[in-house]
Amino acid sequence: MKELITKVTWNSIQHYGDSASVKYYEFLKNRIFRTTYCDTCQKRWFPPRKYCPNCFKEMFKWVEMANTGTLYAFTQQERSLRFGKPDVIGIVELDTGERLLTKINAPFEELKIGMRVKLEYIEIDENITLHSFSPVK
Amino acid sequence: MRRRGRKRRKNVAYVAGVSMTPVTRTLGKPHKEVAAELLAEALEDAGLEKNDIDTLVVTPPNLAGPPSFMFVCALAEYLDLRTKHINMVECGGTSGAMAIKTALNEIFLGRTEFAAVIAIDQRFDLQPGQVDINVFMHEALQTQICLYGPYDSLYGIGAPIPYYAMSAQRYMEEYGATEEDFARVAVMLRNHASKNPLAEYRDPITVEDVLNSRYLSPPLKLLDCSPFASGGACVILANPYVTRPLPKPPVWITGVGEWHEPDHFIPQNGSITSFTSVKKSAEEAFERAGMEPVDVDVAEVYGVFTATELMIYEDLGIFPPGEGYIAVKEGKATYGGNVVMNPSGGRLSLGHPAAATPVMEMVEVVRQLRGECGERQVPGARCGLVHAEHGMLNGSIVFVLEV
Repeated sequence: MKELITKVTWNSIQHYGDSASVKYYEFLKNRIFRTTYCDTCQKRWFPPRKYCPNCFKEMFKWVEMANTGTLYAFTQQERSLRFGKPDVIGIVELDTGERLLTKINAPFEELKIGMRVKLEYIEIDENITLHSFSPVK
Repeated sequence: MRRRGRKRRKNVAYVAGVSMTPVTRTLGKPHKEVAAELLAEALEDAGLEKNDIDTLVVTPPNLAGPPSFMFVCALAEYLDLRTKHINMVECGGTSGAMAIKTALNEIFLGRTEFAAVIAIDQRFDLQPGQVDINVFMHEALQTQICLYGPYDSLYGIGAPIPYYAMSAQRYMEEYGATEEDFARVAVMLRNHASKNPLAEYRDPITVEDVLNSRYLSPPLKLLDCSPFASGGACVILANPYVTRPLPKPPVWITGVGEWHEPDHFIPQNGSITSFTSVKKSAEEAFERAGMEPVDVDVAEVYGVFTATELMIYEDLGIFPPGEGYIAVKEGKATYGGNVVMNPSGGRLSLGHPAAATPVMEMVEVVRQLRGECGERQVPGARCGLVHAEHGMLNGSIVFVLEV
């Protein structure tokens, strides 16, 4: 089953994402946290994309996203397809401006909107390492 | 008087006939049989015959799969329909409303006299051992990554509940609402459903029942959410230039509004407690109808969670921002208040067969405006509203209806 999930996940990322999605996960695998940047529009785009949705030129440049941010909202999933319980997830606003869904490494009860959080990584399988965030003590 | 003149202008149509099934866990019969029964009932309601229909628009009969490739063509054959237009429309939660709008466009093009819209959602009730677990997981993962994308889906989002839960949490933070305030919405909707024989959940509940139900994704609990369901509905839309006398009074669709933000679930900027698409679609629909939110007597809205329901009331302009929960507490959204919201019982208690929901909403509003709703009739209803949304309210459609 784990083998099936690994294979289908990676195939589906390529099918439903684009070549930037693949590169994004390759970066994460190496613990590099980046998104695409359009040199023409001088604008960062998250989620990453191959083409700038503003000028449709190819975005060759990848820029660092901040490894710190603020917890915008959070919840806990009773059931999760990939993680056991407790599965705390949240929306983090990075200091570089991106807003993303991520895993929060702390008990639900200890969290508050507006908390400062910092980046960590979780290794899932041979292709996938995910970002996750923990409250800054 | 003002209303009478407006009906003759362009881009107005009316609803001639409606039908819908009860909402249940499973319809217990194939899609095509349900479609035939719905069409026959709506035609009878409209006083029309099958050959009067020159457009057929449907939604995929099971919104999130398995595949329904060319279903509309197979259905037209099954019903032996000759038409000028057939179409199957899918856009998440707005699918049923989008199907209605597609049919309206055919009418506005002047190509269609009568259009039938049929929306059915039939959940597959799989029993253990019925399906190869590997095949099931393969399809489930593909569907999940397609729907929630290559970034969010890897965090295990299996249903959209966590997104709406975080929206609910922000609503509490920003406006001081409590879980008890959300519970009151569920209780109000259940009271409405108790008088609707087509509703899936009719037994009365209390605020304590909602508060004591288990958390699915805090702050949302089981009774704050609408469970998966099956059901179908049909509306027959008519060109205003049809002069044939019909048995029932026309219910006019005088305003349509639609807006989509680029965000799919989590917006990169801006609020998750108030949504541009809902506001813009409502403003457009009211402007086209020459009406104001205060004119609405009865509304059916796509509130799939208690907190979401409140945000929709506010973004439609029916209650001020951040005051939806106060309005519900003060009884302003139910019988005897300013307006009756979701007299059918809404998504939480009528039940929520997603593809069919917007069409069911229109069926309820049409029956309310005709005065056919018996025990749950909104007295003297003249102006109604139908709303649907997709992708955590980042896309929205609103219809204004009048008699």
